[in-house]
Amino acid sequence: MTTQTLHPRVQIVWVLRAVLLSALVTAPFVGGAYLEYLPQWAPVAVGAVILTLTVAHALLRYRRWSYEIREDAIYLDRGVITQVRTTVPLVRIQHVDSRRSPIERTAGLASCVVYTAGSRGADVRIPGLTPDGASDLREELKRLSIRADGEDAV
Amino acid sequence: MKLAPQSIPYRAFQKAAGTAVALFVIVNSGGFGLPLAVAGGAAIFVAMLAYEVAYYRRFEYVLTEDTLDISSGVISRREREIPYRRIQNVDVSRSVIQRAIGVAAVDLETAGGSSTEGSIRFVTPEEATRLQREVQRRKSDAGRTDEDGDPVDDGDDAVEDGRDDAFAPDEEELFAISPGELALVGALSFDGRLIGLLAFLSSGSFPVLSSFLPEMSAAALTATAFVGVAALFLASWLIGAGVAFSNYYGFRLSRAGDELRYERGLFRRYSGSIPTEKVQTLRITDNPAKRTLGYASLSIETAGYAPGQGTESGNQSAVPIATTDRVYRLAHEIESFGTPEFNRPPKRIRWRYVVRYTMVVGVLTGVAYGADWYFAASLPWYGVAALLLAVPPAAHLKWKHRGYWLGEDHLLTRNGFWGRTVAVVPYYRIQNVIDSRTVFQRRWGVATIVADTAGRDRRVRARAGNGVRQPVCRPDRDDRPLRVGRRGRRPPRERRPRREGRGRRCRRRSGRDIDGDGVGREVGRNVDSDGVSCEVGRDADGDGAGRGGAGRIGRQRDRLG
Repeated sequence: MTTQTLHPRVQIVWVLRAVLLSALVTAPFVGGAYLEYLPQWAPVAVGAVILTLTVAHALLRYRRWSYEIREDAIYLDRGVITQVRTTVPLVRIQHVDSRRSPIERTAGLASCVVYTAGSRGADVRIPGLTPDGASDLREELKRLSIRADGEDAV
Repeated sequence: MKLAPQSIPYRAFQKAAGTAVALFVIVNSGGFGLPLAVAGGAAIFVAMLAYEVAYYRRFEYVLTEDTLDISSGVISRREREIPYRRIQNVDVSRSVIQRAIGVAAVDLETAGGSSTEGSIRFVTPEEATRLQREVQRRKSDAGRTDEDGDPVDDGDDAVEDGRDDAFAPDEEELFAISPGELALVGALSFDGRLIGLLAFLSSGSFPVLSSFLPEMSAAALTATAFVGVAALFLASWLIGAGVAFSNYYGFRLSRAGDELRYERGLFRRYSGSIPTEKVQTLRITDNPAKRTLGYASLSIETAGYAPGQGTESGNQSAVPIATTDRVYRLAHEIESFGTPEFNRPPKRIRWRYVVRYTMVVGVLTGVAYGADWYFAASLPWYGVAALLLAVPPAAHLKWKHRGYWLGEDHLLTRNGFWGRTVAVVPYYRIQNVIDSRTVFQRRWGVATIVADTAGRDRRVRARAGNGVRQPVCRPDRDDRPLRVGRRGRRPPRERRPRREGRGRRCRRRSGRDIDGDGVGREVGRNVDSDGVSCEVGRDADGDGAGRGGAGRIGRQRDRLG
């Protein structure tokens, strides 16, 4: 399997989340301006800066995200500020979920979560899949992990 | 089988004691008088006794062919089956009172769940030992069944009465603590918790104290402070020594067949067994004092628990102290990882640490300035900046004590100066590998590799750095991702004749297995062979498919309990 990227629509989900986050952060400033502790332009400036940063982060995140399922392991490459690459050997997979949050459902997307017995990176989430893609991925991982046949090392 | 009958009054007393005391205080302060309080306490005790009788009657455990079944519960019943193969370790503990009345608590740990899976409270000490041995024996039987693909034929009634101890493997002593070593453990133990507690209390009482301050001269004040701090350190040290002494009194580690056994404790006796095949990580720790004297400690981690974790931190099986080469001999006895030759991260990484520590000193100076300003005292707050002098040595030491080594079958990492830890992780125990690089790390051209192993409490273990953290390796230019762990198979302990068949697979050998983009040039240079060799895999049951899945399902079943 070649390197896979996420579905472009996941950008909508992430940008929405970024907007929500910016709104939350800006809210106190709006309150401050309303009560005239702060000048009128402060909430606008803060909101604009945070919105730009978070939206840019969301878009860059989409561009960075890629995953690959090889013969023996899943490889994930992601992260904008801290770049993270994760390797999950197929023999170590405990179980696989495909899940859809409300926001993902509105965007017509789903994600797939791979669990290992590890303590730190115990669950690895692959977002931005189509519902069918998530189910297929789940089934394929199941098939591959059974074929990989190993002990779970616990 | 049933619990020990004497556990009924003991358990009732245990449960009633707390409530009775609380009630006593309430009633007494409410002016109801002593008789009522006594009557109330007695009533609670009787109620608890009745409950415990019911508990005793409803508690039953059975050693079946492949599982240990525990059915328990008075109001809500619970039936639990624990497959022997899934049991990580069996621990027995006895407090002073429990020893006096002749009962012992047995805890069986599996990798799943967040608490002890099989808790049997209480049985007689003999029964506890028998349980421990029996679980081990049946587990190794189950293991043999599993590996050879055909069940071990040891008679139909083996389950009924068990074999005699004559069949039990001989116990071979690996380590027993000597009085001198015990004294050393005590001397080198320092309980910092007291200092933390007192610091917390004194920070609260500072405004109160400060009102007395002007009455004393500065010299007297300084002297008092010095004496106070010295007393505090002495008390911490004494407490640490006492705790360590009672914890490790009579420590003994031995090997019986394919499991390790330990026992220790002065007041509360602990004993336990750890199957060698369940050992996840070995940790060899030391600190500057121990290093100077040539001593180190060893701890053995399984997925059931990590040492020093949780409330019952007593259940740890660590060699508290031994000479360094003895510790390494013991470690080799458990995992033969060869002679490590640690690779240090690139030297430029020291600049990164310098920057980091300088920032810390800067923050501290800022805090000191702020405190100075707030209390309007004229203390030399800039004195904190003198810590800057310590920054370069600190950075150098951090770099010097950090390293990793990729052995034939093991990954070793070494981290820390004050508490230096060498972690030994077999490749086949690695659950996943995470390679992360922050913006600053990318600038320095370094990366952090975390090899994660199975663990129990995610939060604690993550914070305690369960995964072996190996920061700062040179990222490679090629993007070949990491390869982990020999396809997850445990290398056979004794080289058994291998079968040809579906298990046949090609794979890379030696350290290159894990080598990859994170651990680049430096390693590449040191790894002797980069060759790909073909090796016949050990597919024990001859059936390539299914077993992993079955194991997983089994595990899930344990989790569901």
